[in-house]
Amino acid sequence: MKHILLTFALLTATAALADNYHYGPFPAHYVEECGSCHVAYPPQLLTSTGWQKVMAQLNKHYGVDASLDAKPRAAIADFLQRLASNRDKHAPTEATARMTNTTWFAHEHWKSSPAKTSFADCATCHTDAGKGDYSERSLKRPAGKRHRDD
Amino acid sequence: MKFFPLLLLALCAGTALASSAQRGEIFYRSQHGGDWSCASCHTDNPMTVGSHAVTKKTIQPIAPAANPERFTRPEKVEKWFKRNCNDVLKRACTPQEKADFLAYLLTFK
Ligand code: HEC
Ligand code: HEC
Ligand code: HEC
Repeated sequence: MKHILLTFALLTATAALADNYHYGPFPAHYVEECGSCHVAYPPQLLTSTGWQKVMAQLNKHYGVDASLDAKPRAAIADFLQRLASNRDKHAPTEATARMTNTTWFAHEHWKSSPAKTSFADCATCHTDAGKGDYSERSLKRPAGKRHRDD
Repeated sequence: MKFFPLLLLALCAGTALASSAQRGEIFYRSQHGGDWSCASCHTDNPMTVGSHAVTKKTIQPIAPAANPERFTRPEKVEKWFKRNCNDVLKRACTPQEKADFLAYLLTFK
């Protein structure tokens, strides 16, 4: 019971802070399962339909196998659903449901990622992305890039 | 001592560890007809920090001598064998291949 209350407190805190572009910290099981090949992406930046699509094709996950056993998979799916966005701008725009292809992402970023970087690698620019922190303070713009629509 | 069950597996594969380790090194460096080898992400030297071939995210060393957490959690080990063997060989690894891989990693002290 204590555990559930703590989780709840954590979730409310996460939701309250999200306005400052702080989406984390994330629970350890999410970081363990979804944060070893890339930073654990903020669940708040994709709709539940988007997360369903991502979770339904983990064995063919953007060119790699990210498959999970049924139990941890269900726990992660549940966690993502609970924090998922309900705004249209965070909805998937294609079958693979990339967060970087949402209208929100396109609006917030440049049309294409700077040479030799992938938008999926949030931490190249958002240096504290590992902790779910996307605030201006920890943002490192790539050389020659000042504004998002340069 | 934590390695005991896996070591046993290596021995049960029916070969002396020395030749198993040699096969393991070949396995580790081979692309098996695809684009990647184990070294693509775990680097040419298993004692050093690697990075993910697609995302560039840092990967701690795969050799237990450099990273004591390696091969201590059986579910984690199996989860990653399943994924990475699929990505590199397009199939599951055999018990022999897993034992050889581990025998090679255990040659690092
Ligand atoms: C085995 C490695 C691996 C694991 C584990 C993994 N991913 Fe990924 N993920 C990738 C790769 C590779 C990409 C593609 C990155 C690129 O295009 O640069 C990716 C991309 C993504 C994207 C799209 C990023 C974009 O471009 O918008 C999402 C969303 C995502 N992963 C979610 C997850 C979730 C949720 C989990 C946990 C269930 C997870 N990933 C676990 C390797 C992994
Ligand atoms: C190539 C650099 C780069 C990469 C990679 C990148 N971003 Fe950004 N991001 C930016 C810039 C620049 C801004 C705009 C900041 C501003 O408004 O001036 C931004 C803004 C944001 C914001 C709004 C915060 C704010 O201060 O306005 C969020 C949230 C965000 N990015 C999330 C992500 C996520 C999630 C990823 C990975 C899937 C990602 N970004 C990848 C450069 C990047
Ligand atoms: C595309 C990148 C990539 C390739 C190629 C790759 N691995 Fe991995 N491997 C990872 C990542 C990411 C992890 C998990 C992150 C971590 O534990 O540091 C991992 C972890 C592992 C683990 C877990 C060990 C433990 O106990 O922590 C094993 C076993 C493993 N890999 C075996 C292999 C084998 C065998 C091959 C070659 C057939 C291989 N890997 C190729 C990316 C890769």
